[in-house]
Parts: sequence; C-alpha cells; structure tokens
Amino acid sequence: MNKSLFTVMTFVKINTRRFFRDRLALFFSIVFPVIFLFVFGSLNSGSSDVSFRVAVLNQSSSSFAKTFVDNAKKSDIFKISSDVTTMDKAKDLMDKSQLDATIVLPKDFGTVKSGQQIPSGNAQVIYTENSSQSGTALVSVLESEFKGINAKLVATQTPFTVQGKQLNEQSLSAFDYTFAGLLGFSIIGMGIFGPVNVFPELKKMGILRRLSTTPLKVWQYFLSTMIGQAIIGLIALAVMFAIAITVFHLKIVGNPFELALFLVIGIITILGIGLALGGWAKNERQAAPLSNIIVFPMMFLSGTFFPRFLMPDWLQNLSGYLPLTPIIDGIRLIATEGKHLWEIGPQLGLIGIWLVVIYVIAFRVFRWE
Amino acid sequence: MIEVKDLKKRYGDKQAVDGVSFSVKKGEIFGILGPNGAGKTTTLEMMETLRPIDSGTVLIDGVDVAKNPNRIKYLIGVQPQSPAFQDKTKLKEVIELFAAAYGEKVDVMQFLRDVDLDEKASNYVEDLSGGQKQRLSITTALVHGPKVFFLDEPTTGLDPQARRHLWDLIEKVRDRGISVVMTTHYMDEAEILCDRIAVMDSGKIIAEDTPQNLIKALLGRGFKKKQHVEQANLEDVFIDLTGKGLRDE
Repeated sequence: MNKSLFTVMTFVKINTRRFFRDRLALFFSIVFPVIFLFVFGSLNSGSSDVSFRVAVLNQSSSSFAKTFVDNAKKSDIFKISSDVTTMDKAKDLMDKSQLDATIVLPKDFGTVKSGQQIPSGNAQVIYTENSSQSGTALVSVLESEFKGINAKLVATQTPFTVQGKQLNEQSLSAFDYTFAGLLGFSIIGMGIFGPVNVFPELKKMGILRRLSTTPLKVWQYFLSTMIGQAIIGLIALAVMFAIAITVFHLKIVGNPFELALFLVIGIITILGIGLALGGWAKNERQAAPLSNIIVFPMMFLSGTFFPRFLMPDWLQNLSGYLPLTPIIDGIRLIATEGKHLWEIGPQLGLIGIWLVVIYVIAFRVFRWE
Repeated sequence: MIEVKDLKKRYGDKQAVDGVSFSVKKGEIFGILGPNGAGKTTTLEMMETLRPIDSGTVLIDGVDVAKNPNRIKYLIGVQPQSPAFQDKTKLKEVIELFAAAYGEKVDVMQFLRDVDLDEKASNYVEDLSGGQKQRLSITTALVHGPKVFFLDEPTTGLDPQARRHLWDLIEKVRDRGISVVMTTHYMDEAEILCDRIAVMDSGKIIAEDTPQNLIKALLGRGFKKKQHVEQANLEDVFIDLTGKGLRDE
C-alpha cells in the first residue's frame, strides 16, 4: 500500500476503535439523535388522522344502540374511553380536556316507538367550551353517519351528493419531512460539534503540536478524520433509519446504496465546517461562540426541526442556499421519493460548491496549536 | 551532527533568541540551561521546525531546517514538555499511530520493552502515571530511528525514582549513537547526565563547556562555597530510605 495512504488508514483504524470505546461520544452521536427521533416521531405520527376522544354513555337497551356502540368502538375516528360510565366522571374528564366530548344515547334510543315502523332516537353530543371545535365536528360526523343509516331505513332519493376520493399515489407524510430533518440534525451534531469540542482540547494538551513534529500532513489528518467520520456517521444514521422503519413505519423507496453514498457526501461536507472551526480555534473560547453563530441559524433555517415550506417565500429562497438544506432535501428526495442521484442535480451541485468552499477554508485556517 | 549559527528570533519588541551558536556531536547529551524566559524553549522549537527562524541557520546531519523542514522531521524525535495522548488509546496503538505518521510499521512490543512498558501494552494511556507517560513519549519519539532527540524539561514534576529511571533511559538513547539535546532547570540533572552544557540568559549563550570544566573554571576564579558540604545530601538520604525501585502506581 502507498505509504501516505497507510498512514491515513492506520489513523482511521485506531481513531474509529477509540470512538467505540468512548461512551460519551457514542451517546452524543447515536443515542442523543435517537431520543430526538422518538420525541419528534411520536409528535408527528398520527397527526394526519383526525380522531376524537369520547365517552359513550349508552342508557338504551335496544339492539340498535348496541350495534351503534360496537361500530363506534371499531371505528378509527373515535377513541372511546370505556371506563367512563357516569355523566359526572365524563364531565370531570372533559373539564380537564382529557375527553373531547361525550355521546349520550337516551333510554328510548333505537326503539320502535308506537305508531312507527322503524326505530328512531336522538343522540346527544355533550362538550365543553374548551373543546367546542371537536364537539361541533363530532356533531357533523354523527349527522352524516345517521344520514347513511336513515337512507337505509327510509328509501329516499338524494339529488346532490359528494364523494371523496383518495389518490393512491405516494404522498409525503409529516414524518418524512421530520425524519430527513432529524438526520440533518444528527449530521450537524457529529460533524460540527464533534471537532469543535475535540480540536481545542487536543491543542491545549499539545497533542496536535506533537503530531506536527512528525511528517504527518494536514491533508492526511483531514482525510483520516473524514473517513472515520463517514464510517461512524453511516452507522449512527443506519440506527436512525432502522428505528424510523420499524417504529414509525417509514417507507424507503429509494436505492439504499445511492442513499448511503449521498449521506457520506453530506456527512463529509458538514464535517468540513467542523474541521474549519475546530482547526482554526486556538481554544474553546474561540470555538464555541463562532460555531453557535453558524450552527443554530443553519439548524433552524435548513428544515431540521420543521419543514422549510412553512417559512415565508423570501426566507425559503434564502435558506435554500445553506449547505445543510440540499442535504436534507436530497435525503428526502432519495429515501422517500425514490429519486436517483442523477435526478437531484441541483442539490448535488450546491453541495459540491459548498464542499470546495468549506474545505479550502478549512485547509487555509488550520493550526496545529 | 547539529550546527547552529547565529540563530535569532524576535517576538514583538522582545528579542527572545539573540544570536545563538553551538554544535552538538554525534552520540552526546547536550544540555541547555537557563532561567525561565532565557530563550531555551524557543531555541529548541526553531530547531524542531515548530517555529519559523528569523535569521541564522540550523543544520542537522547537513540538512538545513529552514529550507527542508520535511526532511528534518524524519531526522529528529521530539519529546514535549508535558507529553499527552488521546484518551481511550492503548499503549500499543500509540506506538502504531506514531510509526504510521512516518509511514512505517514497527515491532510495537520491542519499543514498549525498551522503556519497560511492555506489560501495559493493552492499557489505556489515561491509566499511566506521569513517569510512565514520559517513558511512552520517549519511545514514540524514537519509532522512526531519528539521529537527534530533543527533550524539553523531561523530568519536571517526577519523583526521584522516576527521574533516575528516565536518566538511565536517556543515557541508553545516547549510547545508541543518537545525539540528545535537552533543556532542564535541575543542575544535578545537568551535572550527572549532560556531556556538555550551554547556559543561556536573555537569549544569549553565556557559557558552553562540560559541566566539570565549568565547575573547575569557577573554582579557578577563587570561588568558595560558604556552607560546609556534607558527603551526602537529602536526596541521597531519600533514595537510601526509599530505594531506587520505580513507583509508578
């Protein structure tokens, strides 16, 4: 093997081993983003389905009422708290906003009244001021349910109807956006906060200075850090993908190898920012403020925690040029929209420009001490 | 082996090194002595390629330090003032890493045996004592077989046993034909260890000779110590009481 490359690979080998021995590093690069994934994942999953938390107080003994309650229990629209059996308990929970509404089926609900051929009844939806929106929505849901039932009981002709039709195409859920953003967050954590914390420490202890008395070149040192970070980064991101797929039902439609390659490019680009900051800073006091100035705007404007389409147009245009934005967009385009690398030219082009700019700066400002 | 001629370095308006010249032969221990701020470390750092040279020349094995720093790096080994290593690195990996920095693969255990650390090959560096770190640092500085070995205050902060052990090691390095250049604040160390010394003050060398000749010259000028000198000193008592055995834990 080429001597320079042997140097690089030995550094990669030993530094990667060191990483897996370091519990703190493991926590911040793998466990920490996973915690975020669980928090944001749980917030987002289910937000696309409307459901009501209701109590059903069935005072009727008719078979119609029983069937109605059984159907309601099976429905996705209702989450029925079956332990609520009295009005007092229901009121208490509604006051605490733990219930949206209570459906009361009175005694005569669903019975065939004298002089009539078919069952009838009047269901009540009870709700409080703080859940009036859910209450009114629930009333109209029930109204339309009853209309369906009525139509079956009494043959009528309905001149105007409306029908909803769901397109069977892949559409992006809120989680798809969140997940790509969280990967971006994880890439920043490893690529920027890692070197920014470690390098000043190495300088303080004179470790980099000692290395500078050997023939080790800056490019060898950088390259070994880049390869090591790519390995560790891919493992950390793979853990996140595994959890997103198994727990949050993320569907990966893109080619996994293209995705891995794109992730490596993204990891290395962002790492360059960390190398530039950490390589330049003489101590922690220089490193911390500058990295915060760069990281926090990028984190919030590039769509890490909330999607960029929620921003005003001018901000979307501006934040589109940040280095992290094409990375997050690219991950989403490949992973959940099934695009190929050659179809995301604009993203790759922008990343390429940043890659060159960032590493030129990083090499220029690097100091061994 | 080393030729230093009229070496100068200025920081702001302070002339840190002011025209220093000396030479070091193959296989000798050359000590640079002097109070803090005399310019010892700066002189060393210029010879080690760590600081740009304002004027003057340093030749090591015929190679000009200022013109050819990359070739110099293969010729010299450097022991920093307080050696440090990254946590969670095993001793054998430290050797492997430094050898790799020179593009070489070496017999790691042999280098650890040289400094009596072979039993700790699989320990992490953070478990080492100060003296053990110094020894590890010495052997990492020799992985590539340098011709010149620089040490900056190698025994500062060590206990008497660890100091003596380090002296033995430095002498062994010299006996392999390597030229040793070291700075120190300890006169006993310079007297026992160094073949020749240079005394620096305010960026200049004010005396240069063997320790014995320098002492003779002083006595020749009629110098007498006020105090009566005992045949033993407190350190002799300490070593007699606690023995020469190394205490590393």
